[in-house]
Amino acid sequence: MIIQVKDVVKRFGDLRALDGVSCTIEAGEVVIVLGPSGSGKSTFMRCLNGLEKVDSGVVIVDGMRLDHSKSDLRRIRQTIGIVFQQFNLFPHLTAMENLTLAQKVVLGRKPDEAREIALELLKKVGLSEKQDVHPAHLSGGQQQRVAIARSLAMKPKIMLFDEPTSALDPEMIGEVLEVMRDLAREGMTMVVVTHEMGFAREVGDRILFMDQGRIVEEGRIEEVLKNPKEERTREFLSKVLKG
Amino acid sequence: MGEWFIKELKTLGEILVFLVPAIPMTIKITLMAFAFALALGLFVGLSRVSPNKIFSIPSRIYVDVIRGIPLLVQIFFIYFGLGKILNLNQFVAGVAAVSICYSAYLGEIVRSGIQAIHKGQFEAAFSLGMTPVQTMRHVILPQAFPIVLPSVSNEFIATLKDSSLVSMIGLRELTRAGREYYSQYFVTFETWFVVGLIYLGMTFVLSRLASWMERRFRVHGWGMG
Ligand SMILES: Nc1ncnc2c1ncn2[C@@H]1O[C@H](COP(=O)(O)OP(=O)(O)OP(=O)(O)O)[C@@H](O)[C@H]1O
Ligand SMILES: [Mg+2]
Repeated sequence: MIIQVKDVVKRFGDLRALDGVSCTIEAGEVVIVLGPSGSGKSTFMRCLNGLEKVDSGVVIVDGMRLDHSKSDLRRIRQTIGIVFQQFNLFPHLTAMENLTLAQKVVLGRKPDEAREIALELLKKVGLSEKQDVHPAHLSGGQQQRVAIARSLAMKPKIMLFDEPTSALDPEMIGEVLEVMRDLAREGMTMVVVTHEMGFAREVGDRILFMDQGRIVEEGRIEEVLKNPKEERTREFLSKVLKG
Repeated sequence: MGEWFIKELKTLGEILVFLVPAIPMTIKITLMAFAFALALGLFVGLSRVSPNKIFSIPSRIYVDVIRGIPLLVQIFFIYFGLGKILNLNQFVAGVAAVSICYSAYLGEIVRSGIQAIHKGQFEAAFSLGMTPVQTMRHVILPQAFPIVLPSVSNEFIATLKDSSLVSMIGLRELTRAGREYYSQYFVTFETWFVVGLIYLGMTFVLSRLASWMERRFRVHGWGMG
């Protein structure tokens, strides 16, 4: 397994945002994380790449324990890419520069090599002609595709997506899901928080259903969707599947 | 009336000729003090936002203390107090005092500029494996720069004006030269009128320059309006 999470607790003051979460994720798996708002999905994702420090429990990624040292933490972050709901592109840099910055300063790639890799990835997400454009001049869907390419430029083994299409206008959702679908097809290990059930069913292997900081149900995607064991899951699914 | 006017003009001209040689000193003090203040202020501002208390607490105390004491008192303290122990001349003491004072203000400006940047920018940079130093240098500070530019240019103009305070320890800059002229010839009104006019001319040039830079940045910026 490439990710192992054991008894993870994350508190914000009195609130237990994660209340004893355990799970394992195999290389090449696409895991869909579902759950009502505030159930801890984002917190779970952020604990996987060390953006939040866990209060107790362990997270092991690709054989590295997350809390060991700062340099391990940075290695883990190079192993895991994350795509945020709000894209978080660097607004002062062009699309190309967004992709080359970390390659140069973190991985020490030569400018030419970094550009070459960046260009290839921009092509892959269908935006090679936008390489010299700043994020402010890109649509939401284009920005999110650049953000995905930026993560991929680090050659991660795992990609995390936290509601990557929730901030997008409906007509732009498809182009982003398309890029993610390609990635899954290439065998990328992916953890995806999304309400796009069509995408989840098509691409996902497994569902983690969260509620109140716990994983309350987990299983193969068709099975959970067809007959959820937990009342909470059933209730939630009937809402999202209708909406 | 006409005769009086011509006499006045002649006096003003004489004052101007007397004062002009002191202008380079004012400019020198301003430029040096502001350059040091910027470097120190950047350090203070970065320390203020550091998660490490070894940096954040001392820098906070530094800012509070420096901002709470009038510049003139700091100049006296550094020149007559420390200066006597460390054997500082007027120029070094004056520049040091102005630098330190303005580093506290600039430090606060830097801090507010950094804090104006969305948290997601830090998270994106960290997630790509960048260190805090790399994140500041390549992601945060370049974005904070246009935000703080107007405040920083205000401080630059203020430094120029406050450089007049070092006249009090006998450094012969513009204000000191004005005092010399007036104690020699007793033409109060005209002397301070010309001194004021010279300061006004310099600050006017600076503020034009500042708005040109701001405008230029907006045009060549990131198209974010
Ligand atoms: N930095 C924080 N400080 C305090 N509380 C937080 C913080 N981040 C999250 N929380 C709280 O932790 C709980 C879980 O939040 P989280 O963002 O993980 O939920 P989520 O499942 O992602 O919700 P959503 O679907 O709305 O994105 C919520 O109650 C939230 O208010
Ligand atoms: Mg969330």
